[in-house]
Amino acid sequence: MSRALLIQLARLGDLVQSLPALTALQTAYPERPLDLLCPSPLVALGELFPCVDRVFPWNGEQWHEFATTKMTDCDQQLARATRYLADCAYPPYALAYNLNNHPRGILAAHVLSGLVVGPGEYGPLNQTLPAWAGYLRRIARDRGSNRVHLADAFCGLCQVSPPLDVPYLQAQEVSLPFELELPVNGEPSTLIGIVLGAGDADRRVPLSVWQDLIAACAEHIPQCYLLLVGGAGEREAALALEHRLPAKYLNRVVNGCGRTSLPQLVALLNRCQWVVGSDTGPLHLGAMCGARAIGWYFSQARVHETGPYGIGHYVWQRTGAKLRESLDVRDVSAAGSSSAYWPVMETVNLMQEGTVNPTTDGWDLWTSNRDEWGAFYTRDGIPDEAVLRRKDTWEALSQLANQGIRMEVSK
Amino acid sequence: MDVLKQNIGILRDQDPILAAQILQVPGGTLSIQPAKSGMPTALVDSRYLHSAYDPVREAKRWAEERVKECQAEETLVLLGVGLLYHVQALRQMLPHDQVIMVVVPDLSEFADCVSVRALEGWGEGVIWLTGSMADMAVQVTQEAKRVRVLSYEPAATVHRETYEHFRLQLREHLAQHLSGALHIMVVGPIYGGSLPIARYVVNALEGLGHRVSWVDHSPHYAGYQNLETIRDHRLRLTVQQRMSEMLAVISLAHVAEDPPDLVLALSQAPLTMAVLEQMRRKKVLTAMWFVENFRHLTYWQQMVTGYDFWFVMQQAACLDAFRKAGAKHVSYLPLAADPAIHQPVAFTAKEGQEFGADVSFLGAGYRNRRHILPSLVGHEWTFKLWGNEWDNPGALAPVLQRGGARIDTSTSVKIFNATSVNINLHSYTGDGFDPEGDGVNPRTFELASCGAFQVVDTRTLLPALFDESMMAVINNPDQLLPTVQTYLHEPARRAAMAELSRKRVLEAHTYGHRMKTFLGAVGMASPDRLGSILQGDRHAESLVARSGQTPELIPMLKQFPQTDRVELVDVAKSIRNKGPEARLNREELLILMMDEYRQEKRDFL
Repeated sequence: MSRALLIQLARLGDLVQSLPALTALQTAYPERPLDLLCPSPLVALGELFPCVDRVFPWNGEQWHEFATTKMTDCDQQLARATRYLADCAYPPYALAYNLNNHPRGILAAHVLSGLVVGPGEYGPLNQTLPAWAGYLRRIARDRGSNRVHLADAFCGLCQVSPPLDVPYLQAQEVSLPFELELPVNGEPSTLIGIVLGAGDADRRVPLSVWQDLIAACAEHIPQCYLLLVGGAGEREAALALEHRLPAKYLNRVVNGCGRTSLPQLVALLNRCQWVVGSDTGPLHLGAMCGARAIGWYFSQARVHETGPYGIGHYVWQRTGAKLRESLDVRDVSAAGSSSAYWPVMETVNLMQEGTVNPTTDGWDLWTSNRDEWGAFYTRDGIPDEAVLRRKDTWEALSQLANQGIRMEVSK
Repeated sequence: MDVLKQNIGILRDQDPILAAQILQVPGGTLSIQPAKSGMPTALVDSRYLHSAYDPVREAKRWAEERVKECQAEETLVLLGVGLLYHVQALRQMLPHDQVIMVVVPDLSEFADCVSVRALEGWGEGVIWLTGSMADMAVQVTQEAKRVRVLSYEPAATVHRETYEHFRLQLREHLAQHLSGALHIMVVGPIYGGSLPIARYVVNALEGLGHRVSWVDHSPHYAGYQNLETIRDHRLRLTVQQRMSEMLAVISLAHVAEDPPDLVLALSQAPLTMAVLEQMRRKKVLTAMWFVENFRHLTYWQQMVTGYDFWFVMQQAACLDAFRKAGAKHVSYLPLAADPAIHQPVAFTAKEGQEFGADVSFLGAGYRNRRHILPSLVGHEWTFKLWGNEWDNPGALAPVLQRGGARIDTSTSVKIFNATSVNINLHSYTGDGFDPEGDGVNPRTFELASCGAFQVVDTRTLLPALFDESMMAVINNPDQLLPTVQTYLHEPARRAAMAELSRKRVLEAHTYGHRMKTFLGAVGMASPDRLGSILQGDRHAESLVARSGQTPELIPMLKQFPQTDRVELVDVAKSIRNKGPEARLNREELLILMMDEYRQEKRDFL
């Protein structure tokens, strides 16, 4: 049986957003084993994806070391790379779906498979983009009124329709550190994930704002616990946040930053009812783990492209010129930033299923929906003109797909 | 059979002359005793050259460590003889075809050794080098392409100076055979005496065919100088320190953008230990040419472990001090001149009037100069004093030119040329001549290169560079005035001496010579990295010849001129040039993949 490989070499958020494409591919070609190639640190997460047969690590550091070692001549570098690749024991692939429009993804796809779908499908040196990749590039550059979600566009890149059901990640049996086990699995309670960090500095929410949100949750949501979510890079910020909090709230806070493996994080997020954060990997992971996500989208983040995938999620989208005036990087990273700019109480009200004004002080509230063309967000539950145009987009881009490759894929 | 007799038989097959010589030397250099293990061990001046317990095991351990460094195709040159346990151990661990040469500085010691230690089974695979150090260095460079020098210290210490001489000879000979081009990044200071030297170094390296990136920090001088407006002394020092640290990071950014094979810093270059450590992590070799008196400027003590290679303008005590402080490689590298800049020049009558004098001194107002130079004021001949830092000049006020302004290089060349007798007093913070004066200042070379006559104070390292037929050397301050008066009246003698000194510079003391020596040294100390590149191992033809493991690379390499240095980036570029429709094989894809990762800089800063 020929195998296929999906390549996603980007960060956590992109890998999570690739789950619908993997699900759709597995549904479309149930007989064909589908493997995943992802960055080494994310392999443990990929192994939880139900639709994936085998997960292979892509060790960027190792490649960097091959390329930059001053000791070796280019022939020795090539010999080492060849040996390394042989040691990785990749099976032969009939085709590789590449989701990354950068040379590494394209080259990896061509190294591992004779047939490539996605960026690079016209050849490793050919800059011509497939229709969906060209569409994504235009969206990134021009923005416009796009309503096709990134995760669904990944499906388009793979020449499959979005999956019928929203994929869901379930942790396998995994033991948690003692200090996390008790509050998470003890008395019945509402567990809220607070995603502290973000890969990019301009997507970070100030600690003072998290402080206000935690206080508001503790005051207004009975029996709630707040799980601080983040990696080792957020450990310091989490400690600083705990230091800032009044003592009376500390027993409501569970600091999970830098204390969990990815499978353990999935287990924790499986247990969360809500997860709150900016447009970051753990927020999307929380959504895929069954928590309802509330995103605070500002800076470059756009709800229609990368809002949490699925149904029942919310996004507060920063609007208009105020975005730049009041929430530039300096403002956002400043510890003393005023929480007046942030929809703290509105978020608490959403979690209490209370009434919320959908437009408040520079923020618009968007609610997630889904149909056969994938995920989309609306302000009042009614799809607008742009949402309805997604069908045309799908049909137009499908017609533009490389027919030769389509035939090969369908074999 | 008698051990000596058997050994002589082996040596006769290898080198009949050596065998005959062994029979004639008296021996008795080594004191031979049985070790606890029963094997013989040796002492010189009551110091053991091998273990008193188990010399075989000790040698095995020594060799195991060295073997880790050795690369195939290298010729190993061993320093230290003793009873040769270490040579035997190394020979037995290495492949048969790996050449081992042992430098034998003393035949008597060798004779003692072969009287008690059998060479059979391993000694046949060793080349014994004897004769003068120069002859041995020639033999090594003639027979070996890539050389790694290994030293068995307990035995090498006995002939330390001889071996040091051998290393210098070998370095010089290797330097003559360099054909490969390096990418060298030269990091200069913000200002000061080493700034023009940085420029000369850049010119010299480019002249030798290397690719040079010059990180010139002198444009930041105005900003640095502006910090003088901060009145609080401590605050100013702190800010100056921060600015230096920032310039270090800027240097690192240049390294990240275009990683060199080697970074060469001149003294006062603003590189911090943190930045040097980061360069080491990124496998960039670093060298410092410390063109200062190590006794006067002592910041090297804090930086000594930061650089892979140190080059200094003083010997003996200086080399010892650096080694004791932790320098891994430290070598003597005297200063020089750039004959494209320091040369005889014609000048106009007006210039002659301004710069000309019977006697001149150009330099900063150090204490010894303030003390000695007034003796030249008030005579029938003209005396001009040039240079800065002459506040409160006292008796020298009437002869101080341009109000004590700093003199640039081109002006200094005119002054040297327009002066009959140039005074060259090395700086010293005492009253007279520096009693420890050893290193020779750049002015000595620059004056000579200009074909200008000079009276110079004595330095212990001067005779090895110039002799007294080339310049007038004075041994104490009292000799200055009579010497000046003598030479003022002997223009023909002055001209002849100056001409000889210029010839000497052109033969041996240009920055080009120094950079060859410098590269010979770093190549010798790093045979598998810089050494191999300098020997041309990365030329296209050399790579083709060695591409046994990766024959797929050969057609790609054959596209390059045979003597072009070819790196991953070059091969990747040629692959990309195939155009968008190209179908690439797996090896080409892997080359491109590595090239993508090569360009990654995010973890550099």
